[in-house]
Amino acid sequence: MEEYAREPCPWRIVDDCGGAFTMGVIGGGVFQAIKGFRNAPIGIQHRLRGSVNAVRIRAPQIGGSFAVWGGLFSTIDCGLVRIRGKEDPWNSITSGALTGAVLAARSGPLAMVGSAMMGGILLALIEGVGILLTRYTAQQFRNAPPFLEDPSQLPPKEGTPATSYPSYQQYH
Amino acid sequence: MTCTFLRAVQYAEKLHRSSGSRLLLPHFVFNKACFTTEPSLRWGLREQKKMVRPGSFYEVAQKTVWTQGPRPQKAEDSGKQVSVRRGQRGETAIPTTQKVKEAGRDFSYLIVVLIGISITGGLFYVIFKELFSSSSPSKIYGKALEKCRTHPEVISFFGEPVRGYGEMTRRGRRHRVSFIEYVKDGLNYTRVKFYIEGSEPGKQGTVHVEVKENPKNGEYEFRYIFVEVESYPRRTIIIEDNRFQDN
Repeated sequence: MEEYAREPCPWRIVDDCGGAFTMGVIGGGVFQAIKGFRNAPIGIQHRLRGSVNAVRIRAPQIGGSFAVWGGLFSTIDCGLVRIRGKEDPWNSITSGALTGAVLAARSGPLAMVGSAMMGGILLALIEGVGILLTRYTAQQFRNAPPFLEDPSQLPPKEGTPATSYPSYQQYH
Repeated sequence: MTCTFLRAVQYAEKLHRSSGSRLLLPHFVFNKACFTTEPSLRWGLREQKKMVRPGSFYEVAQKTVWTQGPRPQKAEDSGKQVSVRRGQRGETAIPTTQKVKEAGRDFSYLIVVLIGISITGGLFYVIFKELFSSSSPSKIYGKALEKCRTHPEVISFFGEPVRGYGEMTRRGRRHRVSFIEYVKDGLNYTRVKFYIEGSEPGKQGTVHVEVKENPKNGEYEFRYIFVEVESYPRRTIIIEDNRFQDN
């Protein structure tokens, strides 16, 4: 696809940062609206005003912290891809752990280790969910049986190579 | 004589009691004797105001000394006494229906916790299998990529360093590789396809890998690895071809 002709990596940081900010603002807005509503004195006007105040004060803060998390995670991920030269699930888990560690840097080394473990485990769970989803939605399209002969780019055991392609029937 | 002596004891006892009450304030002293002779040490529970009679000074002094002596055990005992008494008083107040409701609520919480633990355990199993089991496509992709990187023809064509990636997901991350597993003659085969790129611009290649399960030790061995280059004319770089090892 043309839109993926450019490398995803530097642009992915901005993408993830913005996506995380939106998620934080919307989610935080909903929660703070309910919380402000409930913590205000009785009377619908007071409650609405309390709700709006809570959203106005706290939702951008929550969005900002989510954006920092997402942007830092994506930056470390792209850095690891650049260093290792390949993209695989280990990058996500390591990036999550390092993000957790960096964001807890103010609280000392022990808090950094704990935060790193939490970030790594959270990312591992997210990866697991992603793997499960792709595997089980792809299985719906599986036809049986798949082809069983060798691809034709390889020289056959006796003769000369041809140039047609095998057809992959599913992508995971 | 005895009067002055008694008065001295009374003052000493008052001193003891005041300091004792300050120290013993957090503890409930529920000795039966103390109920009747130590009104100042009970607070909030009984409003019985009994004046300390001169005749009972000795017992009072003795009891004060005794309660201040083994303080830690006394505190624990009084704590246990408190809880036992509270429990005894409280159990008769909770009716059976409320106990059933509480038990039901605890049970439902337990069910929720168990469901959460099982889901988390399942996710961890999936991710460990993907990352650590040698038959997972990610591992196959990693090993094949290492072999591609060290192959001189690939290096000369693509330029160092060679980068590998898989299929693009919606978020723009490319860490999934496409693969197919099939069974032929009772053995498991897996085919993996990923892409490589080098530092030479515009040259992209597709790597096809197939592994076969060795029935003796369960290990997966490469059957073939080849790189298909999307240039004109199409070129195929064969990195490994072990098909002659079949049958």
